[in-house]
Amino acid sequence: MSRAELRAVGLVRRYGGLTAVDHVDMSAPPGLITGLIGPNGAGKSTLFSLLTGVEQPDEGQVLLGDRDITRLRPDKRSRLGLVQTFQVPSLFTSMTVRENLLVGVENRRRDYAGGLFGSGIRRNDRYEQVVDDMLASLGLTDLAGAVCGSLPTGALRLVECARALCTHPDVLLLDEPASGLDATETERFSQLLRRIADAGVAIVLVDHDVDLVFTVCDQVYAMVGGKVVAHGDPATVRSNPTVQSVYLAQGSMT
Amino acid sequence: MASVDLAIAGLAIGAIAALSGIGLLVTYRTNGVLNLAQGGIAALVAYLYREMAVVWGLPVWLSAVLSLAVLSPGIGVALERFVFRPLARRRASAAESLVASLGVMVLCLGICAGIWGLGAQTDTPAVFPDKSVSFGSHHIGVDTISTLVLIVIACVALSLLQNRTKFGRQMRAVVDDRQLAELSSVPADRVAAAGWAFGTTLAGFTGVLLAPRISLSPYSLSLVVLETFAVVVAARLVSLPIAVLAGLAIGILQSELTQFTVNGSLADLYRTLGSNLFVVVLLVLLLAIPNLRELGDAGSAGSFSSRGGGEDGGTVAERSKDLVWRIAGVVMLLAPMIFASSDLRHAFMVPALALIFLSIVIVTGYSGQVSLGVAGYAGLGAVFALKLASTGLIGIPRLPGLLAILVGAILVAPIGLITGYPAIRRRGLTLALVTFAVGAVVDRFVFEQSSLTGNLIVNPLHIGGWELGDKAFYVVELIGLGLGLLAVRNLHRGRLGRALLAVRDNNGGAAAVGVDVRNLKLLAFTVSSVVAGLGGALLAYSTSSFSSDAFQPIQSLLWFTAVVVFGADSAIGAIVGAAFIVAIDVMAPSGSSTLAVGILALVLGWLPGGLASAVRSLIRFVAEQLADQFIEPGASTRVPGASTRLPGASTRLPVPAQAGVAYAGSAAASVPVPSVPAMALGAGLPGSAAADRVAADRGLALTPFGRTLLGLIRAASVGPGPADADVPTGSSRPLDIRVDRPTTVGAGGYNSRNHVERGPR
Repeated sequence: MSRAELRAVGLVRRYGGLTAVDHVDMSAPPGLITGLIGPNGAGKSTLFSLLTGVEQPDEGQVLLGDRDITRLRPDKRSRLGLVQTFQVPSLFTSMTVRENLLVGVENRRRDYAGGLFGSGIRRNDRYEQVVDDMLASLGLTDLAGAVCGSLPTGALRLVECARALCTHPDVLLLDEPASGLDATETERFSQLLRRIADAGVAIVLVDHDVDLVFTVCDQVYAMVGGKVVAHGDPATVRSNPTVQSVYLAQGSMT
Repeated sequence: MASVDLAIAGLAIGAIAALSGIGLLVTYRTNGVLNLAQGGIAALVAYLYREMAVVWGLPVWLSAVLSLAVLSPGIGVALERFVFRPLARRRASAAESLVASLGVMVLCLGICAGIWGLGAQTDTPAVFPDKSVSFGSHHIGVDTISTLVLIVIACVALSLLQNRTKFGRQMRAVVDDRQLAELSSVPADRVAAAGWAFGTTLAGFTGVLLAPRISLSPYSLSLVVLETFAVVVAARLVSLPIAVLAGLAIGILQSELTQFTVNGSLADLYRTLGSNLFVVVLLVLLLAIPNLRELGDAGSAGSFSSRGGGEDGGTVAERSKDLVWRIAGVVMLLAPMIFASSDLRHAFMVPALALIFLSIVIVTGYSGQVSLGVAGYAGLGAVFALKLASTGLIGIPRLPGLLAILVGAILVAPIGLITGYPAIRRRGLTLALVTFAVGAVVDRFVFEQSSLTGNLIVNPLHIGGWELGDKAFYVVELIGLGLGLLAVRNLHRGRLGRALLAVRDNNGGAAAVGVDVRNLKLLAFTVSSVVAGLGGALLAYSTSSFSSDAFQPIQSLLWFTAVVVFGADSAIGAIVGAAFIVAIDVMAPSGSSTLAVGILALVLGWLPGGLASAVRSLIRFVAEQLADQFIEPGASTRVPGASTRLPGASTRLPVPAQAGVAYAGSAAASVPVPSVPAMALGAGLPGSAAADRVAADRGLALTPFGRTLLGLIRAASVGPGPADADVPTGSSRPLDIRVDRPTTVGAGGYNSRNHVERGPR
């Protein structure tokens, strides 16, 4: 089964007089890593929250495959296959790593009321298997029993990513996944992203680390002032004059 | 011209409400604390004022000056210094501050009830002379004019202070970000203290002005003050002028309503509306204002739970059951069975109250929300059950008593669903206020309506033509409690339990992986309302009467505070708490339990995690001491001080000895351990056997009880060991791991303290 593509069509989000996101079109096809860059205030965070459902656009649509998900809440989007991670890893701090992942696996169904009468209390071997495989494939098996509240940021990013993958997503939205990671960890993380994309998942990446975005992404959207000013493969976007001037002015792109 | 006179009459009440609202707003704006204690402080100051003026015979003006200019601000400064400053220092969440203010509220009520009793005092002298000024044909009371002048002075002074002075700028800085302000050398504590002093002074004014108008009793006066929250909500917790206008408007409107009469079936409803407009407006506003952004995020209410206790890293091991704690609960529940009949009747209230407490555990401990309306749901359960058992209700025919209790409780579910739905969609502490308002509205419009509840009689219960005796009824109650515990257990385990815990730990993260946060919270809230309904129905049966006093809105606050004190995520804590409160109420004068809970609530500041957590630590300590006592001298390879936390590797023992330590406790370390699986089968027994053996060596004979107890303590403190750590299931919590000690991951340090920490699962 081919996975769904995430598309944004004519998204607009205004805050009072300020148009933070101004008629943005973008698409994140399966199997590709899509990067989103822009200076501070360019509207990339706003665009990100429109995609995840944390905020609602004033105009335009968000489509997952053929389905219009513009008005759906984040949890509904997640159950449909659009899963996000956060700038600050948002794990369930009192649970173990394994349990965090289990929560990821077992919430596509919503029949919670059954739990009142005892359903879902026995362990589900299929879910446990998914979690075991995920732990093994990300090299987290040793941490399975660790309580998340006690782990360092690097491990938390990995666990959060593992938890998101446990939901079997079509699209993975990552908000600054490399912040708080050192160079080695970032390197390993980008390899992981490539593996995930190769499995057919569409990845959308927002990061301040422009170098990371240009190395790891297949296509890049550059935003300035709420608008997409450049789009294409990393080399094209990097050589775009507007992008050049913005980043030269900020002095942050080498 | 009646309208004008009515408006003037309404103005008096409205002005007092506005004054209270200003106090609430100032405290909130300077400290970020929604001061639920306002009502309690008002009652306390009013009682002190009356004591001075009536009992000591001081002149009225002197009493007023002493109570309003000295005592009231003093209370505020003391509260800031000893209760809220420590909370602000550790950046406690809004929910924690709310609970602290509830604790203060309960303490104030407890002091009033403890010293002056719960009865009403009607002889409080008015501060201002009972004269009136005439203009034209109308008269306006001096007290009303004075209150209005006071409001104007307060508003003008505040706005000048805020906009024209350095102190005002500092105040705004503190409101914005206390830590940041302190870094810029703003004396944040002084600003906060000033805010508190101002707030409590106005609270004092409210109490002293209200006391002569309504009869002075701790519960009713504080409830009236709490209803002035309507004013603050109307102002969206921001605008002083709107708060004042809202107060005056509601007061006048309420007064104007009395000039019309409605006949027919709606007459009672209309009359009730006319005398309770504030609370109705509070509820309507809370539901109508789409997002009280100002009310902020509740933060993690998980901090009420024992996991917030901290000293053990707040790990999940805490969540596991403590066997000794459980046995205490069971013993406490079963003991009344051997009581004399009259004592047994007293004990009737324990399971009923425990069920009500359990319902709070479900909402607050498990789904991390603050609900202050539990008395409303409990009372509805009682009303439904009694109606069903006597006359039938809305098309449901008359049912036998026991079935009526069950059906009555279930009928509360739709009410919980309807009231929970709008509140849960909103963020922050809205649910706390909405549930409080629901409780108050239900109290006024249902419980206090004699047409609805006046003729409720409690008939004896029957099973198949056999009337239930006292013991049988107690068993029925225990079965009800068992049902409640079953619901709690199922909410705590498996997929549902994990999902709920996920929501409590991190809302956003839970939504991100598809957990339906909203419906899950609603489910917990609805289940909790049913459990409360069951408890309420049993409470009515256990006291053989329905009294609206038992379910008045203030009870919700008392009960909620009690649950937090006894550990908001501890089901057993709920039972112990219920037993504690009933015991005090039976043995001591009425109101003593309120005082006790209030004191405990303030102590909670030093004991985060509630009594349950403190008792757990104590039990753990005793268990450790016992374990050390029962080490045979020289038999152990470990130094006596091994319980100090050393890096796992240095104290780790060779494998067979490890198994001995883990399963049978230190005492068994010298006993050859045949095989691990064999020991695992009887995890609880080796402890008692070992204890027996060691006791025998010392020339002691253990009684069967002592043996069992020691065995259980051992089992409780040691846990079954790695048998299930090897196979971590979804709900098992293998180990308390620290990352800086990665060698212990998956293996565990088997020094004494480490495994004492691990409960059985």
